[in-house]
Amino acid sequence: MLIELEKVAPFPLPTKIVQESEIWGADISFPPKSASLLSAQSGMGKSTLLHLIYGLRKDFSGKVLINGQDTRDIPHQNWENVRKTSISMVFQDLRLFPHLSARDNILLIPTQNETIPAMEEMADRLGMSPFLDHKVSTLSHGQRQRIAIIRALSKPFQLLLLDEPFSHLDEANQLQASLLIQEITERNGASMILSSLGTTPPLNFDHQYSL
Amino acid sequence: MAVFQKKRLQRCLQVAGPRKELTIASLGCLLGSTLLLLAVQLYQDINHYLEQNEGPKNYFTMNKKVEGGALVNLGKKDESFSPEELQAIQALEGVKRIGGFKRNQFPVTVYIWPTGKVGLGSAAKADLFFESIPDAFLDFVPKEWKWEENATLVPIMVPKFYLDLWNFGLAPSRVEYPSLSTEAATGMPIEIFIGRQRTTTLDGRFVAFSKRINSVLVPESFLAWANKKFAEPAKDDFFFLWKDSVIDGPPRSRSQLLEMVDEPAFSSWEISPLGDPAKKVPASSLLSSSKKKPQPSRIILEIMDTPSAALLQFIEENHYELNREFPEQDFLKKAMSGLFLGIAAVGGLLSILSIATFASSFRLLVSKASVHSRNLLLLGFSEKEITSVFFFRFLRLFTWNLSLSVLLGLFCNYVMMNQVKEFGIVLSPWLYANSLLFLGLYSFCFLAVNRLVIKNAVQELTA
Repeated sequence: MLIELEKVAPFPLPTKIVQESEIWGADISFPPKSASLLSAQSGMGKSTLLHLIYGLRKDFSGKVLINGQDTRDIPHQNWENVRKTSISMVFQDLRLFPHLSARDNILLIPTQNETIPAMEEMADRLGMSPFLDHKVSTLSHGQRQRIAIIRALSKPFQLLLLDEPFSHLDEANQLQASLLIQEITERNGASMILSSLGTTPPLNFDHQYSL
Repeated sequence: MAVFQKKRLQRCLQVAGPRKELTIASLGCLLGSTLLLLAVQLYQDINHYLEQNEGPKNYFTMNKKVEGGALVNLGKKDESFSPEELQAIQALEGVKRIGGFKRNQFPVTVYIWPTGKVGLGSAAKADLFFESIPDAFLDFVPKEWKWEENATLVPIMVPKFYLDLWNFGLAPSRVEYPSLSTEAATGMPIEIFIGRQRTTTLDGRFVAFSKRINSVLVPESFLAWANKKFAEPAKDDFFFLWKDSVIDGPPRSRSQLLEMVDEPAFSSWEISPLGDPAKKVPASSLLSSSKKKPQPSRIILEIMDTPSAALLQFIEENHYELNREFPEQDFLKKAMSGLFLGIAAVGGLLSILSIATFASSFRLLVSKASVHSRNLLLLGFSEKEITSVFFFRFLRLFTWNLSLSVLLGLFCNYVMMNQVKEFGIVLSPWLYANSLLFLGLYSFCFLAVNRLVIKNAVQELTA
């Protein structure tokens, strides 16, 4: 999936930040099957950019194009389909359902990705097998992050958006999660955009951008 | 969507609804739909009843107004229509045809034996009258409706509501009288006594029950024969006989006077009518005056539709009375229409309030689950899928309500059925096809409105 940004600048972002950014106000493209890292401190608009690509915000100037189509022209119903089958995302605030079990959270997706390993296997690789039947509200933030990663990988996608997915993971867990993400993204032939707070996760990136 | 996925979605969006509002809405829905169902059911029952017991729509009887007290009317003022009057009525706009009622000119007493056998049990005894009209005015002509001289049985037709009066008025108040079906009533032997001294006895039988003519009818041929044979002289057929300017003995009838015509002094005698003894005329004038042909005092009219303005004006001007047969049907219809409208109005109002309360409750419910709903939409679930979760919850509640209201409606119907049975109104114990159709339409409206409300509430989450 090809993502292109044409002089995109979100409205609430201060002009100074926009002028100093490699992304805001520039013409950037994220080619298919590529892995990109967005690196910046807090408040620079990492989540905003991912939300713009995911179609959650429309308060920006410039253009965001998905496979050549302006996201503003994508009808509401088509966005539902895009999120169901083409773009998957790990949100910074995870957006899990705390009253459901980890297993239910992973399974509660509109369409299952048929090319991925079984849920139990992914949970095992991330050390989450013992917690699958626990309510999410009882898990630590790091555990929740791993559940959110498994859920995002369980959906079919051509683009994976990850918003600070490892912020509460230790190095060993980051490595395991990175390996799983890399493997499934490659298997899907998908591209990936990951944001981080300045650190570089143990993944192979084709492009690195500083916001 | 797979069943498991649906259940997971329902679990995910399971939030406590506003209990008080939902209870009020459910109660409103239960009562509203029960009342509406009862109204629809009642409407059909009553229509069914009225169809079966429909009085004539375009048959009316007409007579001259009877005025004054009993003493005044003992004078037997002539209330019959003259041939000219009948001609004028026939010529009125909207009148298709008219027919005169003929009545008996002799006293009649009947003994009705409800047990089916003369002499067995108690007989219902009554002084009665007979009338006849041309067969063309009968609502139907029963096959027994013929009478020839020397026939053993006199067929009698009475209004259907006489039987109802018997069953629901007389029979319950008298242990010796059983309730009668139509078949049983037609099997009752009737003794007909004719004359003040009951000198002649005939056998009679109810052969049919009319829904059009409000009278005790016998065939025209019988009444013509009986009047000829048993008629008592009318009052105006009696005269005082004057011999040498002195009244001679008691008043004599026309036939008695005619028997005296061969007496030598007959030509010198005089007569005067009973009502005016001073108005003397020669007795020989009887020979030239013929007996007045009796005219009907009550006529039946068949009209095109409702009485025309010309007919009503004519009636008013001539002090006639126009009676529609069985007017109680109109009263029943009006009473039932009022009852139907009342129940339907209350039921409709409750239902509308219930729809509004459900709508606001489910908006609140969607709003309470808005965080989870939004997250599900971000995961790629469609608005339709989210809407269906809330709608399914409403549907479950509504189905319970509707099922209970059907049961409650059937129970109320059963109670009403037993209550009105005493009045001869038979209600269906089951729902009519139209009632089911109504329930379908009612449910569709209820569900469509609430689905729209839920859909809009879900759409607002992404706006």
